[in-house]
Amino acid sequence: MSAPTDIHAYLDELEDIPGTRVFTAARARQGYQLNQFAMSLMKAENRERWKADERAYLDGWKLSEEQKQAVLDRDYNRLLDLGGNIYFLAKVFSTDGKSFLQAVSTMSGMSLEDYSAMMIAGGRSPEGLRSKKEQQ
Amino acid sequence: MARITAGVATSHIPALGAASDLGKTGEDYWKPAFAGYDWTRKWEAEQKPDVVILVYNDHASAFDMKIIPTFAIGCAEEFQPADEGWGPRKVPTVIGHPDLAWHIAQSLILDEFDMTIINEMDVDHGLTVPLTMVFGECEAWPCKVIPLAVNVVTYPPPTGNRCWALGEAIARAVGSFDEDLNVQVWGTGGMSHQLQGPRAGLINKEWDNRFLDRLEGDTQELRHIPHIEYLRETGSEGIEMVMWLIMRGALGRSTRTLHRHYHVPASNTAVGHIVLEPVP
Repeated sequence: MSAPTDIHAYLDELEDIPGTRVFTAARARQGYQLNQFAMSLMKAENRERWKADERAYLDGWKLSEEQKQAVLDRDYNRLLDLGGNIYFLAKVFSTDGKSFLQAVSTMSGMSLEDYSAMMIAGGRSPEGLRSKKEQQ
Repeated sequence: MARITAGVATSHIPALGAASDLGKTGEDYWKPAFAGYDWTRKWEAEQKPDVVILVYNDHASAFDMKIIPTFAIGCAEEFQPADEGWGPRKVPTVIGHPDLAWHIAQSLILDEFDMTIINEMDVDHGLTVPLTMVFGECEAWPCKVIPLAVNVVTYPPPTGNRCWALGEAIARAVGSFDEDLNVQVWGTGGMSHQLQGPRAGLINKEWDNRFLDRLEGDTQELRHIPHIEYLRETGSEGIEMVMWLIMRGALGRSTRTLHRHYHVPASNTAVGHIVLEPVP
């Protein structure tokens, strides 16, 4: 066993990373229905119903209006703010025929070409992106 | 007696599985990522392990938000490749080793690790991509596999220290199994990557390589790295590397590196791979 962890300090630190939403219990609770909706797209018959009428399909789930709109907009950063988890949201972009690279680039604010080029050049440096407090 | 003869760690990037399945491994983009596994494929053909204990995480495939086990061990006769939303990968069924898996489960629980036991489960890219990378395309996987799933998605995941200690307990469990079996422990996931938010695409080559350095020898530094360091230094999904520590813990006091490979990028991620043997 390690020394006991101060859970408040632990959780505070998770919010200190720029451009990152760590999937904490609070987000998991907020996004429960959203992530379970996304999970439902694992089944081929659900994907058919979803593609036929996205809005009607969403109305079958207990999502907030904001969550529904963000799904319809494929606004993945917004979905992360509303409790979405990337591995669950992946079911939505996979159903759209998009790869992780394509979907992830939309969150970075870069074009797919620029994002892919950055990755081939070695990725985004952590320099200056480790801590919000440090940035101030 | 069963014995742990080696440890393997590898990334489990889904795009690597897709590249293999679509016959793209010869393309310039993918070639260097796969080339680092040539040595391992030859080595495994000589090693002929009977069983691999494969530590991985499920990515919203077998487990959704309803149930989130921290450590789960697969005790089934077999495991089918999961349909992750575009049809299951066309790779062989994963054959389990229920006798050894149940022995390990019982032993771990008596050793105070409160395992979740899984008797029915599909396995996603987290488990099948490492098999592809290490064994290549096969009609049937050349060994039995015991899936050991770790929650690294919903916070908090287990600490690095707990993962290392679980590895030590797995070694004790394997060592008390009567059948003569050649067992390997694999840790998968990582290395640096972030799949979300404006910081997506983060890669930290220096940190990843220092992590690889410290898997070798008798240093226990890695078990004390806090979650926040993985997050800050290696991106939000770099936390998967705690799973490598289960493999390292299972190898005992000291290790020697037999092979090492690092390549950026595969899709959004740094590919890391190492083969270790225990040094008694």
